[in-house]
Amino acid sequence: MAHITFIEASGQSTTVNLADGWSLMQGATANGVDGILGECGGSCACATCHCYVDEARLGDLPPASAGELEMLENVAAERRPNSRLACQLKASAALEGLIVHLPETQE
Amino acid sequence: MFSFDPYSPAVDADPFPYYKRLRDEQPCFWSPEAQMWVLSRYADIVSAGQDWPTYSSASGNLMTELPGRAGATLGSSDPPKHDRLRGLIQHAFMKRNLLALEEPIRAVAQEVFGQLKGAKSFDFKEVSSQFTVKVLMAALGLPMGDEAIVPEQEVRDNAVLMVQSDARTRAKGPEHIAAYNWVQDYASKVIAMRRAEPRNDLISNFALAEIDGDRLDDREVLLTTTTLIMAGVESLGGFMMMFAYNLATFDDARRAVVANPALLPDAIEESLRFNTSAQRFRRRLMKDVTLHGQTMKEGDFVCLAYGSGNRDERQYPNPDVYDITRKPRGHLGFGGGVHACLGTAIARLSVKIAFEEFHKVVPEYRRMADQLPWMPSSTFRSPLVLELAVQ
Repeated sequence: MAHITFIEASGQSTTVNLADGWSLMQGATANGVDGILGECGGSCACATCHCYVDEARLGDLPPASAGELEMLENVAAERRPNSRLACQLKASAALEGLIVHLPETQE
Repeated sequence: MFSFDPYSPAVDADPFPYYKRLRDEQPCFWSPEAQMWVLSRYADIVSAGQDWPTYSSASGNLMTELPGRAGATLGSSDPPKHDRLRGLIQHAFMKRNLLALEEPIRAVAQEVFGQLKGAKSFDFKEVSSQFTVKVLMAALGLPMGDEAIVPEQEVRDNAVLMVQSDARTRAKGPEHIAAYNWVQDYASKVIAMRRAEPRNDLISNFALAEIDGDRLDDREVLLTTTTLIMAGVESLGGFMMMFAYNLATFDDARRAVVANPALLPDAIEESLRFNTSAQRFRRRLMKDVTLHGQTMKEGDFVCLAYGSGNRDERQYPNPDVYDITRKPRGHLGFGGGVHACLGTAIARLSVKIAFEEFHKVVPEYRRMADQLPWMPSSTFRSPLVLELAVQ
């Protein structure tokens, strides 16, 4: 399990306790976090689960795959060095306490 | 003694009471009839869908798999093979790349639903099947018009038949295998046409694609194309039947979306949750898993009952109410994880346009029959006929 905090562009903050293996996208959409759409359902095909990961924790995450990097070129909001797709980040103890900020728009 | 037989006509007609008992009493249930475990709770299905190394698709993903298909298609393979196949195809299905299809889809919808002007009653399947085949042909680049090599209706009939199964033998019957072979034969002719004279369409690009210098093998090209035709025609057509069924059944919802078509996307999402046509898929365990006190063994098949997860009261309050204001985030109507439906964007776009145009011609309608004939399928659920009376 890992507690993940999503902070929406409005400042609204939601902390969810995610089972190991759940993607951050699934955790957000199943728990009422509106700033993540996840239109494709988690197959890394739509770039609507864009998030900004706490920079200090970037090293705790596995690096983005080629597919994720390609899809990150399609995000609607500004792409930053800490941009990731939430459907590609899986909860585990290593992510405990992670804070992710959500962009103003996903489409 | 409770049983859950996904081949039973009673389950085809109304699986939801069975699902509720599964969720409440036996959330990890062995079905002797299906010879597989059944997972029915939202959280368990999401977890399994995310964990593809444990819940493998490489032995097939259809509840009743078609011969020779497992391992050669997107839905029936695991990463990394899955990812390389998907990488070749998915750009064509991204929302922004579908913008060019919006006007052609609308023209098809106006032509097809325009036929209903003046009708007093009709079978919705007649129009939804025409619409679906034309849209899929345009999206995939199948030969149409003067170039067509088979009648459109045959594509529809065979794609629909190949996903069905026999309730008595709990297997594919000869008619289902014949339909599967028909679609394969059709796909192989299209692939040969596009290889001989490539165009800028999905099948040309796919048939000629190379990954790291290797062409895809012919079986992968053939069966993936066959599956795109099957999934496109059957799933889109089946979902349109379910959406029309819901709108014909729930008067308030229908009147709301007819009065304000901007509500259609929310009504579509709620239909995907409430009773989507893709009810159940399967996986195979790559290791032992213990869940809710049951130990499932490596090699066992597991059914992910998406249609049940979508009615799980642990996730959605009042799950048996069709509520178009619900905005059911995270629903399993398109599955989830790496195998989530490739066609989410084109399905949403096509259904929205279809019903905008349908409602311009037929704004008020109701179901004529109380009981409907349901398709015999362990995987999908939709009525075979949907007679509507124009009011």
